Amino acid sequence: MVLSRNKLYSILIMACVAGYIWVCFNMVNKQSVLEPVEVCFIKHFTNIPCPSCGSTRAILSLTKGNFNEAFNINPMGFLVAFIMLFTPLWILLDIVAKKNTLLTFYQNLETYLKRPKIAIPLLIIIMINWIWNINKGV
Amino acid sequence: MEAQKVEMFIMSNSKFFESHQINGIRERLIAIDDSKWAMISTIQLKDPTTILIVSILAGSLGIDRFMLGDTGLGIGKLLTCGGLGIWTIVDWFSIQKATREKNMQKIQQFLY
Repeated sequence: MVLSRNKLYSILIMACVAGYIWVCFNMVNKQSVLEPVEVCFIKHFTNIPCPSCGSTRAILSLTKGNFNEAFNINPMGFLVAFIMLFTPLWILLDIVAKKNTLLTFYQNLETYLKRPKIAIPLLIIIMINWIWNINKGV
Repeated sequence: MEAQKVEMFIMSNSKFFESHQINGIRERLIAIDDSKWAMISTIQLKDPTTILIVSILAGSLGIDRFMLGDTGLGIGKLLTCGGLGIWTIVDWFSIQKATREKNMQKIQQFLY
């Protein structure tokens, strides 16, 4: 898919808004007696957690300032929280300044990540995180 | 290019493109020079059916998007458990179209 500036930005904004709604929903829901809502397909059907299962809980403990706990639940929570914090700001800056620095950054990042030298270590890190996830039973 | 070659190409590769694009491809192929035939006949196109199977089996991990070359969207899918499961389901229905569009982009480099 060739992403134009507006298309990429609207996808990112929608994803961020959905993420914030999801985090707020979980914050409110945690205090009630209801069962936790599971949306992950892999976990639902196979009972094996996927590489990013637990990100929501990690972000929730990040909001309380428990960095160690967040790292122990799922280190990917840091990455997701970082993206959720900074993309809306970057998009806002781009819109105000009428530039497309985020689009250029996104395209450069895509070509950069496709290099085997970068892609294979990242893949290994994700696999290790996944094995850790399965072992600790997130 | 010869009409026979073009017809052969269209017949064997029509499943890789959207139906409304095929007429345009045929016209362009007839118009271009014969020397490009070697490049065009060996071009690697992605099969929409294969990508659909990958999308159904491993869509929550974003593997389908990685295979298409949309690394950014793939990472997005991977980090969010397939967009909380919603994006996964949306992609089951839209990934074939996305694949055909990717193929069209690929062949366009050689057509113009």
